[in-house]
Amino acid sequence: MSSTLALPRINKLVVLHTAVRFQGFLGLLIVFLLGVAFAPVKDATNLFLDVTNQMNILRYVAETGIIAIGMTLVILVGEIDLSVGAVLAFGATLTAYLLTTAQFGSLGTLVVVLASGAAFGFVNGAVSSAFRIPSFVVTLAMMSFARGLARLVFGGVAIPLLAISQGGSAPEEAFFVNMRLGGVIPVPALLMFAVAIIASLALRYTPYGRHVYAVGGNPVAAHLSGVRVEFTKVMVFALCGVLTALASFVHAIQLNQGAPNDGFAYELNAIAAVVIGGTSLQGGIGTVAGAVAGAWMLGMIDNILNLNNVQADVQLLVKGTLIVVAVALQRLQRRA
Amino acid sequence: MTIRIAPLTLAVLAATTLLHAPQLRAEDKKYTIGFSQLAFDDPWRVAFNNQMTRAAAKHPDFKLVIVNAQRDSSKQVADVETLLQQRVDALIISPNEAAPLTSIVKKAFDAGVPVIVLDRAVLGESYTMFIGADNKFIGNKAGAYVAKWCAEKNYNPCNVLEISGLSGSTPAQERASGFREGIKANANVKLATSVTSEWQKAKAVPAAAAAFQGNKNFQVVYAHNDDSTEGGYIAAKNANLDVSKMLFLGIDGLPDKNGAIVSILQGRLGASFVYPNGAAEAIEWADKILKKGEKPPKKVTLGTDEITAVNAKSMCEKYDCEAK
Amino acid sequence: MHPRPDSLRPVTAALPIRLSARGIGKRFPGVVALDKVDLTLRGGEVHALMGENGAGKSTLLKILTGLYACDEGAIELDGARVQPSDPRDAQRLGISIIHQELNQVPELSVYENFFLGRERRSAMGWLDRVAMRIETSRWLAEVGLSLQPNRLLRGLRVAERQLLEIAKAISIDAKVLLMDEPTTALSGDEVKQMFRITRSLRDRGMAIVYISHRMDEVFEIADRITVLRDGRLVDCRPAADYTRDSLITQMVGRPLPEFFPEVKPHLGAELIRVRGLSVVARAGKQRLTDINLHVSAGEVVGLAGLLGAGRTELLEAIFGVAPPSTRAGDISINGKPTRFDSPRDAIAAGLGFVAEDRKGQSLALGRPVSENVTLAGLARFVSNGLINLREEAHGVDAAIRALRIKTPTAATPVGLLSGGNQQKVVFARHWLTQPKVFLLDEPTQGIDVGAKAEIYALVRRLADDGAAVLLASSDMPELLALCDRIVVMCAGTIAGELSRQDASQERILDLATRFGHGAAPDNDSKAKATTA
Repeated sequence: MSSTLALPRINKLVVLHTAVRFQGFLGLLIVFLLGVAFAPVKDATNLFLDVTNQMNILRYVAETGIIAIGMTLVILVGEIDLSVGAVLAFGATLTAYLLTTAQFGSLGTLVVVLASGAAFGFVNGAVSSAFRIPSFVVTLAMMSFARGLARLVFGGVAIPLLAISQGGSAPEEAFFVNMRLGGVIPVPALLMFAVAIIASLALRYTPYGRHVYAVGGNPVAAHLSGVRVEFTKVMVFALCGVLTALASFVHAIQLNQGAPNDGFAYELNAIAAVVIGGTSLQGGIGTVAGAVAGAWMLGMIDNILNLNNVQADVQLLVKGTLIVVAVALQRLQRRA
Repeated sequence: MTIRIAPLTLAVLAATTLLHAPQLRAEDKKYTIGFSQLAFDDPWRVAFNNQMTRAAAKHPDFKLVIVNAQRDSSKQVADVETLLQQRVDALIISPNEAAPLTSIVKKAFDAGVPVIVLDRAVLGESYTMFIGADNKFIGNKAGAYVAKWCAEKNYNPCNVLEISGLSGSTPAQERASGFREGIKANANVKLATSVTSEWQKAKAVPAAAAAFQGNKNFQVVYAHNDDSTEGGYIAAKNANLDVSKMLFLGIDGLPDKNGAIVSILQGRLGASFVYPNGAAEAIEWADKILKKGEKPPKKVTLGTDEITAVNAKSMCEKYDCEAK
Repeated sequence: MHPRPDSLRPVTAALPIRLSARGIGKRFPGVVALDKVDLTLRGGEVHALMGENGAGKSTLLKILTGLYACDEGAIELDGARVQPSDPRDAQRLGISIIHQELNQVPELSVYENFFLGRERRSAMGWLDRVAMRIETSRWLAEVGLSLQPNRLLRGLRVAERQLLEIAKAISIDAKVLLMDEPTTALSGDEVKQMFRITRSLRDRGMAIVYISHRMDEVFEIADRITVLRDGRLVDCRPAADYTRDSLITQMVGRPLPEFFPEVKPHLGAELIRVRGLSVVARAGKQRLTDINLHVSAGEVVGLAGLLGAGRTELLEAIFGVAPPSTRAGDISINGKPTRFDSPRDAIAAGLGFVAEDRKGQSLALGRPVSENVTLAGLARFVSNGLINLREEAHGVDAAIRALRIKTPTAATPVGLLSGGNQQKVVFARHWLTQPKVFLLDEPTQGIDVGAKAEIYALVRRLADDGAAVLLASSDMPELLALCDRIVVMCAGTIAGELSRQDASQERILDLATRFGHGAAPDNDSKAKATTA
């Protein structure tokens, strides 16, 4: 059989493949360049390019980015988690409560909040598995449940979270979240990058990571190859819960309060970031780095539009369009 | 279907340029005033923005930039950061929540930007001035009105359904506490149930409906904003309560066609208390601070007007309402 | 060797030419799919189109049915020049196709599907359902389907759906009928019925094109065979002029010394023994009853039977796919009784399973070849909890070389490989774990001739290297040539066993139809392995 029939086709496919694989970064680069090109200039400073501005963007996207990393894992196995916003609200309120009323100390609070996230995630995964209910439905229910729980347990009111120096009762160390490395890079951004690196390495180098891709690629094949599919899926939800909880800790401290009504539509932002970053909603294809790039890109777009005084509603339009474009690109690649 | 990269990029660039077009005109305004509004989605806020725009238009050297935080405190922090990045000469802000916005307001203030806080407070004192109505005072007046009305009607008990605003927000807390003070004048007035509509009429209807399901014996419906009172009115009618025997009152007193003045004229609401926004005052003070270097008082409290069926017509004249 | 056509049939030259495609050429960027291909379809003839995957058969079909336009060449239908612009146009012209994946809507009824796209309307413009139902019944009778036209399509078996398509084709007075792999999902009886209908259509003057990888069927039904290779026409002759070997040689382009490898029986110790295995599915349906068999090292044991006999169930039951609560009986590996509650356990105990549906059950199509190959045997590359990527790459390379897998790189997504190479990847996955027992379920299904030969050689090699192989297949020649013993199943139990010398197609069929109806039940024997 001649090989000339096969090769040229595959070359074009490989190119398209790479384009889609790195679509998150390509998009990021394009948006960045557009931002620089269209930024207002005041006092000889390009307002977009300015370091302060870029750091502001990073700080703003960090929470979404951290959640998006967890969401990537869930989407990679072919599932979805709609409850992250509500879990964030619970976590943030819990953080405020533990740091002030309960006086748990920073480390203790962080551990308990992360554990609460893991618990929510575990329930999502376990219920979905045990009763064979699609994760869409289970996490939709959890979305209600976690928020209701947050309001019930903590009284439905926002809990102020102020450091002792600000007149509150929370320990100073907890506010490391507001610090900047070298006075420049915000801690939340560092956390996002650190989590991204760890997650990427784990996906690449651990058997569990490999299993995540396999289960997403074809759960039946994974099962027949000896992978513990249920375990893989439940773990992925638990991990997403933990990361959401981490984001909630950051959220509460940055906003000086834990509000059970916060976090609305956070799940949509996270999913948008994941999809724009090149991860397929069918599962089995995608990267954590792409999700971070996606979140960053969305933040940049918000910033560019804000600096140019474009209405907030337009930002919603842009976000929606981007999601469709990203998925369309993926479809094209698959059809080719 | 092949997608060509080049035309696509051109299209994107063209689109962005179009969005950018207003900015491309030469900048000739001397002062940029940044206004961080917490939301655009209710009539009071819309009136707020309109009054701010009209007031700024009276100063030809003022450029007013309004940003919408869409009720997201995180976003509002980012909005203020961006306004600062744009080097605004003064910052006016109506904060979504007190604690989350305190740091960034302090940051602006410490950086030397005059900060005027409107309508809702932040914590601490790190701002140039606060202009607001006294929600507690207004709530108190509402409560006193209810006490008087219940006494006149001789209702015992006089059950009140309170529909409150967003629980984390200062206005809601103050309108609630002021009201509770005001009703003390009449011991028969009982605050039977309190639900929340988060300021939205759409949420007020089911919230009030749920309250009416449990207990139909309500004489007064008091909501923290007129829109929510209207929602309570709808729910009461749906629950077949005798609305002619009841009092529906709220706060805002807006003149637009969906507002309290028209509603009172049409017989739905019984009373409303104007909640002033302070937009015009803020612009005036910004002018004084920036151009004349005046040092303003830390706090300016705006008054209120009581609107009832008795004075609705003259109030309609005063506020130029959209009746008929 | 192959059944003679009806001796009463007219001589070929006397048959009218219905479709004449001359000099058909089609080019895609960088690839010549068809190069000056001629195809003459005569009414009253079943014309088989043979060729390996990539030879150009499906491209030619797509041109005939209007999905593609040819770059060169001309098509004449009943003497008139035609160029179908889209599938509907082709259908209107009288060129009808029955796809491998039937284009039907399960949620609609039989008559709604029958009239899909060409609904009958009453004078007012509403759908005239009564007329449609009547007409549908008439055409169903023509093909021997006794169905209520009201029935929802989803309850129908594949065979019935195909007959519905055929009925549709006749009803629109098709001049040319193209049948693409029509028998993949059919049982023996259903294939017979399909052939009966096909012959009657042929005798009515229709020109029929038949495409199938199943050589036996081709020789049974075809009157003429056209062979394509690398986009070119190689030969076109009456079917009687071919032998199986000569046809394969034409298709592949080189003489295959042995299509089937030499069998050197060399039996070692007994590696797997199954005793009294029974499986009861949900709703109390007995799927397997009292299965006893054994396979020794170096032995290839075939598992024959009709669709629904329980071959896949048996292999899955051995491999631990079904929940343990549904199983009874013992399995011993190497003399030791073992219990598999999951495929994970089975793999650990030294079993390997190549499932029937490689795309649906075995491969993560979007993942690279390397990941698919090492999926079951990852542990051997893991140290300190981390995967040693370099060692994994070496392992993958070794597997690719050993099994001669053709892939541009090890990182290529496995979905881009040809069917045969994909199947080799699945083999490689289990080969990597060096199992003692291989369970193979239809390993050459949907694979072209060249690759089939390689898989056969591979199977024999696995046995020669000391493994025990249990091979389920519906391809009789394959079983007869490869296996040392053939176990025949019928209705969920073992009907009999034949040694290599004693085995023949007739004997196998005889045993396979021993108990009750051998006909296939609904779609359940294609039950996918459940995720636990």
